[in-house]
Amino acid sequence: MKLAFQLAYKNLLGAGLRTWLNAGVLSFAFVVIIFYNGLIDGWNEQAKIDGINWEWGNGHLLNEKYDPYDAFSIEDGHGKLAADKQENLTPILIRQAHIYPNGRMMPIQLKGIDPNQKTLYLPTDLLNQSKADFPVLIGQRMAESAKVKTGDDILLRWRDKNGTYDAATVTVVGIFETNVPFVDGGQFWMSIEKLREITLLADQTTYFVASENYSHTETAAWHFETQEYLMREQTKLIETKKVSGSILYIVLMTLGLLAIFDTQVLSIFRRQKEIGTYIALGMTRWQVVRVFTAEGSMYSIFAVILGALYGIPILWYLSKIGISFGTDGTEMGIIMAERMYPIYGLGLVFGTIVIVVLSATVVSFLPARKIARMNPVEALKGKVQ
Amino acid sequence: MSEKIIVIENLVKRFPVGEGEFTALSDINLSFEKGEFSGIVGPSGSGKTTLLNIIGSLDSPTEGSCTVMGKRISDLSHKQSAQLRNMHIGFIFQVYNLLPVYTVFENVEFALLLQKRSATARKKAVMEALEWVGLEKMADKKPSKLSGGEGQRVAIARAMVKRPELVLADEPTANLDAKNAHAILQTMKKLNEELKTTFLFSTHDEKVMAYLNRLIHLEDGKVAQDEWVTAKSTR
Repeated sequence: MKLAFQLAYKNLLGAGLRTWLNAGVLSFAFVVIIFYNGLIDGWNEQAKIDGINWEWGNGHLLNEKYDPYDAFSIEDGHGKLAADKQENLTPILIRQAHIYPNGRMMPIQLKGIDPNQKTLYLPTDLLNQSKADFPVLIGQRMAESAKVKTGDDILLRWRDKNGTYDAATVTVVGIFETNVPFVDGGQFWMSIEKLREITLLADQTTYFVASENYSHTETAAWHFETQEYLMREQTKLIETKKVSGSILYIVLMTLGLLAIFDTQVLSIFRRQKEIGTYIALGMTRWQVVRVFTAEGSMYSIFAVILGALYGIPILWYLSKIGISFGTDGTEMGIIMAERMYPIYGLGLVFGTIVIVVLSATVVSFLPARKIARMNPVEALKGKVQ
Repeated sequence: MSEKIIVIENLVKRFPVGEGEFTALSDINLSFEKGEFSGIVGPSGSGKTTLLNIIGSLDSPTEGSCTVMGKRISDLSHKQSAQLRNMHIGFIFQVYNLLPVYTVFENVEFALLLQKRSATARKKAVMEALEWVGLEKMADKKPSKLSGGEGQRVAIARAMVKRPELVLADEPTANLDAKNAHAILQTMKKLNEELKTTFLFSTHDEKVMAYLNRLIHLEDGKVAQDEWVTAKSTR
């Protein structure tokens, strides 16, 4: 095998431009595959970290009547949890309400949270620092859709537990920026104690966000959803993107491998005399097959080297500056930063190298098998059809 | 008694042509002894190259037998044929068949690589072979930079470097001018005399015939005449 690679190496270098054209095409596929996978991995990592920091924490402990996918369950989906069971948990109470910015009516969710919490990245300390009578926090997207800014007063209307309407003017004391749409769009954050007070829902909580130190024990009327469970949809979506991305890989790889296959077919036809000479000099036909197969493998190795030469600086640069798609995931209801930073893991790089080298070897072997059936006399004459 | 290096008995070679067959060689009975400088001569299509290919185990007879160095060609597997060619037979072709991407040194070294000889042994043998043909200073040149005569001398060095018992030369002077043809033939004759290597030519070139000790005339695939002659000497 060593001899096959030695000969293949010399043959490919001797072939000059043809070798580098093939290696170039394959290296492009190689770099794009790594880039796209890196981008998806970067998105996945960013979405996971942002989701945990802003929304999921270490899991949610939900009131059994509350279903996050059913807005009607908000009304009754709350309950009281014994204080001794609330260790390492941040309570959140959700109520339906309306705001009236600039004369318009907008339905929102009022979310009450402990202003002193440290589990989520929400800047709830602003609620404590504010001197306003009724401070609220909103996200950037909420601010844009309601056309409000920090310091603005807005009329808020809600119903208490008895269904009685009440209203007050709230002051926006902070606008936070996040990639996580679940804590932003259509939501007003306020002190949970204040919310409990105005809705007459003392000690009531819709769900709790668990911190890292939380250890779950079964609690009647509450059920725990783990971090992995909460991020399942995001994970599924990213996996779907990976699958759709594989069509791109197949197209790119096919182009690269087709170039190698084509070269090999042509090579075997054009180099018949050389093949005959190899056999006349004492190589077995399968040894010659190995030389031609090794040439195909070496195209992919050259492609890896060539790809590394121009790919490493480009991919490194993109991983530092990130890539903006001019939008975030709000409209799609997914966690997606405006600027994504690809992550290139060793597994991704080496996995791609193995796939490229193996595929190139296979597509080289297929036409090279013909040599095993070649008549050396005909080959020496260059008469094999 | 001299050692018989090739024994051919009742050899027939047929090729399929359309739905029929073409008989290229018919009832060939020949033997060659070690150290011969012989030639199979005859016009184009007489079966010279076919016979040479069978002796070189690149092809096999349809009937009869061809035994080279005690090995019956038709009984050999592909691997055994390759082994026979690699260890015992050198080929010289009409169009040299040098490997274009290799240097002169690498072309000559090729057969030794297959024999898995050490780098030191290979270098020594290659340089010695290049000295035989007077090309030691062109070791780093690519075949494309060589003249026809030089190319054929490289081919001779490649055939001789492994010190084979038998060298098969198929029309080795066909692409050379008279001066180069004589130079090549003198080189081969010298190697034959010094190393006792058996040379078997396929040719219809009068210049080549003048150097041969034995001429086997083939006509329409049959041996028409087998004659021993007084050949030109290098001395």
